[in-house]
Amino acid sequence: MASSRGGQQVMRMGDMEKMSLEQLKAVKEQADVDVNLLQDSLNNIRTATARLEIASTSLHDLSLRPQGKKMLVPLTASLYVPGTLDDADKVLVDIGTGYFVEKTMAEGKDYCERKINLLKSNFDQLVEVASKKKTLADEAGVILQAKLKQLSPSN
Amino acid sequence: MSSSSTALRELQRDLENKANDLSKLQKDIAKNHQVKKKYTIQLGENELVLKELDLLNEDANVYKLIGPVLVKQDLAEANANVRKRIEYISAELKRLDASLQDLEEKQYSKREAILKVQQRIQSHQAGKAKA
Repeated sequence: MASSRGGQQVMRMGDMEKMSLEQLKAVKEQADVDVNLLQDSLNNIRTATARLEIASTSLHDLSLRPQGKKMLVPLTASLYVPGTLDDADKVLVDIGTGYFVEKTMAEGKDYCERKINLLKSNFDQLVEVASKKKTLADEAGVILQAKLKQLSPSN
Repeated sequence: MSSSSTALRELQRDLENKANDLSKLQKDIAKNHQVKKKYTIQLGENELVLKELDLLNEDANVYKLIGPVLVKQDLAEANANVRKRIEYISAELKRLDASLQDLEEKQYSKREAILKVQQRIQSHQAGKAKA
């Protein structure tokens, strides 16, 4: 998402000082929009990671139960029916776009771990990009303020 | 005097038309961007699925969700399906990129044209003020 506007990242401090007020304002606005977008993406990654972690812990939980264990299965949020645990070793994993794969417990856990690690590395990369953008936005803001101050006493 | 004012009116109408065209172009570009974003997300998801399918053993059970039902599918078939989908989406993205570039060029030249008309209106008004 951020790479589509990567051209703006080559902007340097010196370039910004030479810019007109309008240009500077545009840069600042664009940078702010980008920062918000990146922040949203970071939040999305965070919720996705949390969900995978929940999946991982419930898998672990399931693996501890013996076969034939009695349990209550939720049909809706308020309706539960009794059931017994048939086979805790095979799990179905949703790998996206409507595809499900049958995996063993260990493979399922491995899947969760891999996805969590993938998300974490993406998260770290995004944090870097976001902080760079944030500095850019701040710099643009500072220069904009300075220019406005320069202009106002003469008026 | 009256001839210059009709010319001015003409220019203003021209400007209005061009401004409408420009805003239409900008709307198209925004829409294009949105579609592109959607396709990029889908492409990413499909690539993840393909990676996951590649990791599987040949005898793994793969199911496809069709409506509310899970239907068992051949791994090779699923693999080919996802590959085809990735191909299609990539082609679509390429097409979108081309049309986006085209639209942006059009937008740029429209802007230039509008600037020119504005300048002509200004020079008209300046000439009038003098007279």
